[in-house]
Amino acid sequence: MNIENRFQQISQSNFETPDSDTFIEKLHGERQKRHVKKMGIINGIRAAAFVAVFGLITTNQLTDDPAAYASNDLKPLEVMDSETEEYVYDLAEYLVENSDDIWETLAFLDNIEFEPVTKMNDGGIK
Amino acid sequence: MKTDKELIKEFQNGNKASFDELVKRHLPDTYGFFIKFTADEVEAEDLAQDVFIKMFKALKKFRFESEFKTYLFRANVNMSNTYLRRNKWRNMLHLDQAPEQGYMDTSYEDEWRKKELWDGVAKLPSRQRMVVTMRIAQEMPYKEISDIMGISENSAKVNYHHAVKALKEKLQD
Repeated sequence: MNIENRFQQISQSNFETPDSDTFIEKLHGERQKRHVKKMGIINGIRAAAFVAVFGLITTNQLTDDPAAYASNDLKPLEVMDSETEEYVYDLAEYLVENSDDIWETLAFLDNIEFEPVTKMNDGGIK
Repeated sequence: MKTDKELIKEFQNGNKASFDELVKRHLPDTYGFFIKFTADEVEAEDLAQDVFIKMFKALKKFRFESEFKTYLFRANVNMSNTYLRRNKWRNMLHLDQAPEQGYMDTSYEDEWRKKELWDGVAKLPSRQRMVVTMRIAQEMPYKEISDIMGISENSAKVNYHHAVKALKEKLQD
């Protein structure tokens, strides 16, 4: 059989067209399904992009300087802030100047100075 | 009866029933194209469905620069090319499982010859493949083929003859 005859045979072959109503129903069903799938993919990409951007922004706020973290970590060890410290020094100066027995006063100040450290070692400081 | 253009305009204005009407009108041609192309009812229906789903999106922006029929047919040809590119063609035809010639009955032999021919068509260069597909699947005149492909009528004829020559050599006709 030559090529032309084969062509003719194919083009003249009979076929039954599917029912158009059923076809249309399936068509819209499939279309909706693909739409939902597409929206799922888009939402997934959006969520991934949000997480990536959020992560990037958060990470960029971190510093390479270990001292920054160390100072944060050691913060609880600071017993006095500068204002308190100044007040304590002023008080100490006052006590020393007005004391009858300077050695007793100094011993008292020593006790006060070391008391927080002693408490810290006992786990008493928060 | 409304024209394709009127139906498309209605669809663009939000009337989905007009799209359904278009599908009903062009389903026989589209399905016919793919059933001759694939010789498989399920595959043909799936391909027709894919084309109309694409049409559903594309028609919203259709600018009436060509006839809808031409536009649809071009979509059919593109879909068949995509199908071939996916390399489903060979798998679908099960060419590797062809039985020995001596064991074939006449109807099976005819079917096998058809498949063999389509396999040959699938291996043709793109333009020749498109021309031959349109000639075989819809017995389309060269004028219409040239309109769809945007080539001259003579070019369509030349491509067809080159394709037939190549197929004869491949199939040792």
